[in-house]
Amino acid sequence: MNRTSLVLLLGLAVGLGTHQIYFQLHRPGGTDTIDGQLAWMKSELHLSDAQFARIKELHEASSPRLRALAAQVARMQAEFAAFENTRRVSDRVDFIEFAQFVETRRNINRQCLESTRQLVLASADVMTPEQRAHYFGIVSAAEPFKEPQQIN
Amino acid sequence: MPSQPDPLDPLLDHWSKTPDPSPRLASEVWRRIALAEKDEAEAQGFWGGLEAWFSRPPFAVMFVASCALLGLFLAEVRVNHQQRERSTQLARSYLQLIDPLLNTDSIARQP
Repeated sequence: MNRTSLVLLLGLAVGLGTHQIYFQLHRPGGTDTIDGQLAWMKSELHLSDAQFARIKELHEASSPRLRALAAQVARMQAEFAAFENTRRVSDRVDFIEFAQFVETRRNINRQCLESTRQLVLASADVMTPEQRAHYFGIVSAAEPFKEPQQIN
Repeated sequence: MPSQPDPLDPLLDHWSKTPDPSPRLASEVWRRIALAEKDEAEAQGFWGGLEAWFSRPPFAVMFVASCALLGLFLAEVRVNHQQRERSTQLARSYLQLIDPLLNTDSIARQP
């Protein structure tokens, strides 16, 4: 092996090595748990430790209720699919039962919107105006905040 | 007895007087060096030229250092790209965490 090949291989090896080492040291961690999401929020919004502790407390307090609501929404969705299946197979619709279903779903949706709104507004109360603006930008895709002017 | 004058003496005297160099001497020397290097490079071809460059230790060291810097730059670009993707994914996960309606199809939102 002549000198040129040796230098070329050495350059390639050094380039690949530094690339891998730097990437492994700086690659973003991957966690989808509530702690991981809140840690991301802390770095994204530059929250202080006190702000983070309060926001974590708020999220942990509302988490069981939001999970229960999500389960109810999923159940309503399954019920709706069953209604639709019955209508398609037998071409019959129990309008009274369907009206009750729609009413129940409206109630659940209202509770979902209210719970989300309360959590977001309580979290925003802990933040500075700049953090709040950034936070509202993040949550603007959530159903209760589709129109940002409603939160001001 | 005086000796006969040597006919070589005037010639030697003339030779000892060094003439002033031409003002174009330096440029001519460099032109000839460049020409010689060009001819040499053309005779060696691409690989010959490459080997000539890599045979110089400073160039070899600079090449390896450049490879290391390129590797670092590409790693930084890759890390930034992954961080952007991760932020987007975490924002989506967070929205699903706080909004139960986002976990479901649009069916659930119909009145």
